[in-house]
Amino acid sequence: MAEARDEGSAVSEPLDLVRLLLDEVVCVKLRGDRELKGRLHAYDSHCNLVLGDVEETIYVVDEEDDEEVKTVSKKSEMLFVRGFKDKPESNGV
Amino acid sequence: MSFFGFDTSRHNPAATGFSQAHNPFAGLSNRQDEGDALEFEETYDGLGDQLEETGDAFNDDTFGDTAGLDTKPVGKDFDFFGSTAKVANAMEEEHVRFNRQQPTAKVSQPAPQPAVQNIPQSSAFGSMSYGYAPQPAPYKPARTGYEKYSSEPVAELQVDAALWGVAPKKHPQPAPAAVPEAVPTPPAASRKVLSLEEVEAEMRAQAKKAAQHATPSPAPPPAAIPSGPHQQIPPPMHYDQAYQFAQHAQPHAPQQPDHMRKDQAFAPGHGHPVTILQRPHDKQVPSPQPQVQPAAHPAAHPAAHPAAHHRQQPSVGMQPTQILQNPNRLSGDAARLGVRQHPTPTAPAGYPTHPVHRQQGSFSRQPQIITHPSQLAQLSEEEKAAYLEQEAKRAKRNHKIFLMSRDNGIMTPQDKSFVTRIQLQQLVSATGNPNEHGTDESLAEDFYYQVHSQIQGSQRQHPNQPLNNFAQTYLFQTGSRQGGMRRHHRGPENHMQRMEQQVQRAVEAAKNKPKNKQLVIEGSLGKISFSNAKTPKPLLNIKRTESTGDAHRPGSSHKQVHRGGDRKSELRTIERIYTTLMQMEDHDRNMPPPPANDAETDAIEKFVAWNSEAQILNNTLWESLRVHDHPENGRIHPFIALLSYTKGMKAMQRISRHLTHEQRTTILTLILVNLDSLDVVRNAQVTPETMQLNAAMRENVELFSGAVMSTLFNILNELDLDLVAGMLGLVCTRNVDVIAKSRIGASMLTMILSRAEIIKHGGGGSEQAWRSWDMTHTQFFDLIEPTLPHMFPGPVTTGDDIYVWQLLAALGIGASPDQQQRLVLAVKDRVMDTVALSKTLPQDMAAQRLQNVNLFMRSIGLDVELIQ
Repeated sequence: MAEARDEGSAVSEPLDLVRLLLDEVVCVKLRGDRELKGRLHAYDSHCNLVLGDVEETIYVVDEEDDEEVKTVSKKSEMLFVRGFKDKPESNGV
Repeated sequence: MSFFGFDTSRHNPAATGFSQAHNPFAGLSNRQDEGDALEFEETYDGLGDQLEETGDAFNDDTFGDTAGLDTKPVGKDFDFFGSTAKVANAMEEEHVRFNRQQPTAKVSQPAPQPAVQNIPQSSAFGSMSYGYAPQPAPYKPARTGYEKYSSEPVAELQVDAALWGVAPKKHPQPAPAAVPEAVPTPPAASRKVLSLEEVEAEMRAQAKKAAQHATPSPAPPPAAIPSGPHQQIPPPMHYDQAYQFAQHAQPHAPQQPDHMRKDQAFAPGHGHPVTILQRPHDKQVPSPQPQVQPAAHPAAHPAAHPAAHHRQQPSVGMQPTQILQNPNRLSGDAARLGVRQHPTPTAPAGYPTHPVHRQQGSFSRQPQIITHPSQLAQLSEEEKAAYLEQEAKRAKRNHKIFLMSRDNGIMTPQDKSFVTRIQLQQLVSATGNPNEHGTDESLAEDFYYQVHSQIQGSQRQHPNQPLNNFAQTYLFQTGSRQGGMRRHHRGPENHMQRMEQQVQRAVEAAKNKPKNKQLVIEGSLGKISFSNAKTPKPLLNIKRTESTGDAHRPGSSHKQVHRGGDRKSELRTIERIYTTLMQMEDHDRNMPPPPANDAETDAIEKFVAWNSEAQILNNTLWESLRVHDHPENGRIHPFIALLSYTKGMKAMQRISRHLTHEQRTTILTLILVNLDSLDVVRNAQVTPETMQLNAAMRENVELFSGAVMSTLFNILNELDLDLVAGMLGLVCTRNVDVIAKSRIGASMLTMILSRAEIIKHGGGGSEQAWRSWDMTHTQFFDLIEPTLPHMFPGPVTTGDDIYVWQLLAALGIGASPDQQQRLVLAVKDRVMDTVALSKTLPQDMAAQRLQNVNLFMRSIGLDVELIQ
């Protein structure tokens, strides 16, 4: 019965999956070699996101040191992420 | 040289703004009839045409910076006034002669002007100058500057014209003649300009009189013309006029076009509208004026052209720019300074001077404010210094006023009140109109607040109940004020007053604001912050209760996956619950009023429809909760699984509001039955040796006790003793050890035990129920006894064990003497340790710890005091 109901409210678009992640910790990949990990407070059809307690990781290639990848991380209490159509985005915990 | 970009040589003197200027020669204007009025073109020397209008970039270099005005001594090369003074004695003679020849000023005799020719020669009189005070005539009361908009100005202007068109009363004969003349012809044309000779003649007449009471001074009968009758009385103006009459009101000479300046040196000033558009300037343009021979322009006053009017060009040392000042005020200043004001050596000219040739005594006199510089000598050093200081101050202030007043009057009072109203409207919409009761609007404005106030329910009967501080501040009486304003015409002062009051109230409100930056209201998801200009109110301020431990998060969710059902379907369930909740809350808000009587079939229909809809929603919610689903093998109950999500916990309060009593009881039962499989119980086990849950779990526990426990507590408080006993019985079927070793579990047990105790104190419960309770309690006690010493979170130094002592107290109160003894034995070590520890702690902490222990000790009739 539970299964049937689940099918009834079947996921009709990708954003329905995003909805399930409301108030959950999500990872977001952004342009510019950045990743965010934080709690999803809100989103919209453009995938504008509001994240809470975000840890942002920036990957920097250090050219002097044999292209070693370094990471810089920042923390923000609340972050608004501007959605954009060609921004690669993935979510999941 | 037109600083405002106007071509001053071409303005139309017949225009309204100019026509009202007083014409000092109006009384002597019969010359036109005699045909000897000069055309402007004849007298215009064309100097103005040679000017480069744009070439004023280096004026400051040339004339010096205005900033230095107050202090810098000014050279004499532009001291036209002083130059005039040099010929004072010659003029004096002329006056005398003129008076003999022409008892009245009516006849204009182009008298030769030896005085002027003397200018270059008589430098002996160096610093002598005429000191004439500009004397505003009080023909109108002081104005506020708003009159222009109150539709009277037209009449006013006409009055002006008539007024100034009238000949000075001193010369009764010409006066009647002048008035009729003025009527048929345009104002500008009707006003005759005196020839230089006429002016001189008049001056002489005055000077002669003045000389009789002039203070003897080292200089030959100089021009001290101190007494009232001689004073020029420019009309006081309100602002708009002041703009036009800037020059008129301001005796110090602004820079003037050269062609206008030619006469200035010897023709002591008549304030004249001609220079209206010129920027007032404290600097004098050094000009060759003294050399201009009046003879060359014997009658340099064509009526039609402003250039023909003489202007006093006082040499300004420290004279303030007074252009826009209310003349009344000027005289006030002067009065304050005292009558005897003297130009200083560095500032040869005293007050802007207006030797008056015409209206002697025709207007009310004002105290003289300008005196001859010779009087300066009579002043003590102190007085001089004081005078200088005051002068400097006044100059500064006037300059400021001038700078600020350039844009005056751009907005009408109507504009201002329009803007004010817009601002007030913004305030209203920002704070919520207290008069607005439409739920839809208020919902659109502040949905979350409305929802919150609904959840808080009883605490707040009425969404608009307390008018908030902000609204009170700004909206108090505003409505009635506006209404009043529309009915009665309210003056601009009131308007300004109102703004002032509002600002004042705003400031007061800001002062009265609570000092706390934020306010945490129980049950709200976040804090309510007060904002100020520097730190605006954050609209979202969600407690960081459950997510700082991101690092731990993957681990805990991993557990969920393998122990619980399908994570995705659980999340989906929660979303469905929220959707349903929102629908139900929306539905609740649209509840029709219950029908008053059977007759209102419409209302009854509506109500029934609403009820059935509510029932449908309730069913949807109940199904979504999956309370009656059976867990698949080895998995926990789906509903319990929901409670491992923070959003699931948060939903509990709202869910409970929309359920029936039975449904709520069912939920409580379900939770108790699954108490040991609850995430926050099972994964939050404590032992006295190892303490400290991970951060994520700590936060979950915190949230659970905040969001779910209170709901459960409310449900439990509705239950009768038999049901409470049943609940305890259910707990006994579970793993009591696991339950008791978690904070949530222990609190739940405390809750049940206390409820029974409360019922007992209330005298409730049937005897049979009590018997059943006692049985269950005994069973439960036996179950929990082995766990008692292990319930404490961490070693004794940890603290934060108050919930354990609460449980022990709840157990102790309902315990038999035998059970009490067993209790004491079980936790004796912890009690002793805590007491011992408290001796090493600071006093307040120690007291806290002992108080916790005492919760338990008192319940069994003991006290920590006995141990110590």
